[in-house]
Amino acid sequence: MTLSTLTRPWAAISWGFLDASAKREMRRKMIKAIAVPGCQMPYASREVPMARGWGTGGLQVTLTLLRTDSVVKVIDQGADDSVNAASIRRFLSRVSAAAETWDTLEATLIQSRHRVPEERLREDQVLVLQVPNPEPLRPVQPNMSIARQMHADADYGRLWLVLYEQMVRSGRIMQGAAYPALVNGRHVMTPSPIPRWDVPKLHMARHLTFLSAGREKRLYAVPPFTRVEPLVFSDVPYKVEDHADLVCHRSGLRGVFMNEIPQDGGGSAFEASDSHLGIKAIRRAEGAATTIGPMWYEEGRFRP
Amino acid sequence: MALPHPTPDDLRDTDAFEALMWAMARPGTVRSLPEGAADLALALLDRETRVHAEDPELARRIAATGAALVTPDRADHAFCTTAAGAMAALAVLPVGSALYPDEGATLVMPAIIGAGPLLGLTGPGIEGQCRLRLGGLPEGLLDLRSARCRYPEGIDLVLVDGRRIVGLPRSVAVEVL
Repeated sequence: MTLSTLTRPWAAISWGFLDASAKREMRRKMIKAIAVPGCQMPYASREVPMARGWGTGGLQVTLTLLRTDSVVKVIDQGADDSVNAASIRRFLSRVSAAAETWDTLEATLIQSRHRVPEERLREDQVLVLQVPNPEPLRPVQPNMSIARQMHADADYGRLWLVLYEQMVRSGRIMQGAAYPALVNGRHVMTPSPIPRWDVPKLHMARHLTFLSAGREKRLYAVPPFTRVEPLVFSDVPYKVEDHADLVCHRSGLRGVFMNEIPQDGGGSAFEASDSHLGIKAIRRAEGAATTIGPMWYEEGRFRP
Repeated sequence: MALPHPTPDDLRDTDAFEALMWAMARPGTVRSLPEGAADLALALLDRETRVHAEDPELARRIAATGAALVTPDRADHAFCTTAAGAMAALAVLPVGSALYPDEGATLVMPAIIGAGPLLGLTGPGIEGQCRLRLGGLPEGLLDLRSARCRYPEGIDLVLVDGRRIVGLPRSVAVEVL
């Protein structure tokens, strides 16, 4: 075997940016991540033209999944038009000729920073979540070799201790984003810093979810119809944010996750976090023909 | 800057991976590869892998990717073409460890999809129970599989029938109905 049989003629850039070998490694790890839901799989995390910590893990998974007929949506805290989301989306379409969209219903591939869209995802859609810290045990065990052993032993008692201490100190569970959840009854994962509102959307869902941390070089997955159970005490039920009765001041949407916008007078206004859903609601109110898909939450209540 | 164009290899690899990914994510559903088991080898294997391949022609193509050809007990991917070979490989392939479940191997083996005994699959990726007929499996394969898949350790099976594939990841429980 010679080097020339293993290489290809020079090209300025590979289709889908990552070289073939990088994609093969991602593919192998993504298959293993599906086979053991919620278990963190180490991977090499190649260089991409973006700083680590800005979504490089999600980007590598998305680049591996891209097809010529993909339609990509990228959101940053629910918004399609933030600089980070717009740059990633444009990069994806430039390196692969994939189509871009803001609409959850049109997308085949959704890369997201810290939100799950409010419209239900279908069985043909893949959600890629960017993860800053993939290790749910880090607050209780900073040594990652010991944390790995704790995952191997399913030794998660200290996570309940954290929740218990929050109850004792504050009278309620204070964990807001990245609420730890037990996947397939075996591995505890951090669902990335999505709000508590979004965690039930991963439980027994129709879509496939990948979670990938580029800086930490680990990825994990939640296949369709997989149990994702937030850690709770049997007498303290899991509670999502109290947003059921809030109204978006721009679109009039109700019963979706809201961004709180402080006002000069001291109060706050609320705005739908899923920005394109808000846009669709405004268009519909103006009489334009828009389709809003079925939602995870109806009238502020989660519908399984 | 000109838009990069996919090569025929890029297209075949993404199609093969798409089929494999959904076959694994939804065990029991049938997906189609562009051509056959060799597509999986080309989409997954490179110099970082250790592979056991039964068929000499496929072994030659795999060697050309730079992958090391090894005995099944050291392989992270195995491509079997006979029932006896698949049984022998399944008995010795690495299952990984509770610390590193990703070191459990992937075994690609032949089966007849849609004929033979009726199986019921339950587990992640399946709503309730998935029923599927699978024939041509070696005697005792399912027992050996459950003996070696002590979750999260285990071996992930890909059953190939021509271009069609079914995935059986280690997380799935199989019963004969």
